[in-house]
Amino acid sequence: MSKHTIHLTVNGIDRTVEVESNKTLLWVLRYNLALTGPKAACERGDCGLCTILMDDNPVKSCLILAVEADGHKITTIEGIAKDGVLSPVQRKFVEHGALQCGFCTPAAVLAAEALLKRNPSPTREEVVEAIEGVLCRCTGYRQIVDAILDAARMKT
Amino acid sequence: MLPKFDYIAPKTIEETFELLDKHGQDARLLAGGTDLIVSLRARERIPKAVIDIKAMKELHDLSFDEKRGLSIGAAVTLNRLLHYDATSKHFPVLCEAVSTIGDYEIRNRATLTGNICNASPAADSAPALLVLEAAVNVASRKGRRSIPVREFFAGVKKTVLARGEMVTSINVPTPPKGSRGGYLKARRTVGEDLAVVGVGGLVTPSSKSSKTVRLAYASVAPTPVRALEAEKIFERDKPLDELLDQAMPIVSKTISPITDVRGGKEYRTNLVEVLTRRLLQRLWEAN
Repeated sequence: MSKHTIHLTVNGIDRTVEVESNKTLLWVLRYNLALTGPKAACERGDCGLCTILMDDNPVKSCLILAVEADGHKITTIEGIAKDGVLSPVQRKFVEHGALQCGFCTPAAVLAAEALLKRNPSPTREEVVEAIEGVLCRCTGYRQIVDAILDAARMKT
Repeated sequence: MLPKFDYIAPKTIEETFELLDKHGQDARLLAGGTDLIVSLRARERIPKAVIDIKAMKELHDLSFDEKRGLSIGAAVTLNRLLHYDATSKHFPVLCEAVSTIGDYEIRNRATLTGNICNASPAADSAPALLVLEAAVNVASRKGRRSIPVREFFAGVKKTVLARGEMVTSINVPTPPKGSRGGYLKARRTVGEDLAVVGVGGLVTPSSKSSKTVRLAYASVAPTPVRALEAEKIFERDKPLDELLDQAMPIVSKTISPITDVRGGKEYRTNLVEVLTRRLLQRLWEAN
């Protein structure tokens, strides 16, 4: 099995990691870089709880080899709040009670952050499509969609 | 945890040919990884080498020209294809089909070439590529060839690609002027799901009163299938309902659905009829 030295920018910080070829990006974020925001759940691309932003696009980190991420910019939920101040999306999740157990929250917030960046005033349908890949088993999705729409109104 | 393998990202196609020759059946090509990594984790087939094609610049090419059609490099992601102006303008059937694959995040990584090389009977892009009569461009050390997509699938999860061959791009000819295409997909949930049945159609006015129709299906046979025999019925100048009544029994003979976790054989057969009627009614009136 081959080993590779990869360079990543994770939440704004340059990191160099030596990885084995069969390690996923999810694995390296959690076990090498101690970022436990992305969750290891289905690990087959269904649940979306390992969502991260790669070059600002939401992707499922369980379906990406760590070595494929060499040279890319990675954002996890740990990189969303700035100096302890929650982002508008995060604040609206709190206000709307858009979580119960919280396990899908990092993924849902990141999918929402990416959506609002490419489309600052989405329709309800566009919000639903953007979080389609993130499964929540507690709240249903209404509060999550409400929170994202509210965050969009705040930003525009 | 994934099984152990070597990872190689060749920068040139010649290097890739060498690797494919050297490793043969022990190599797997990696584009988006949304099917491959799932299959590695399930240990369906454990390769010695995973060859990432994304370092080859020419495989990222995406271009359109009325005469040559749409050319989609093997490493082009589905979202890039969907956001390319020419796709929605000239190939609505491809747009509709591709936008039902996985979910937004999956489409940020997954590729069209990967969708057909995975050769799932449920591949949503396949009915669209079949009715558009797309060609799969293949290369190996021995040379290059172009395979009509209709001849590309050999069985469940099997293609006609020979040892040492790789897909470099897919070429989709521009549909005739005035044609209209669409894709309907039955699935179990509103969000991401594999197709219970997928129907792709392309309707082109051939004269003032008659039309040519192309129909293709996913998830109702060991491979995606084109309904060539049934299509001939639509050449007649008759009301659509009459044509459908004549064509549907022929479509039923083209398909051979099975019962699985997503739906029963009888249910699938019924869905084929319902979705075909619904799709053609939409495309017909629009003409």
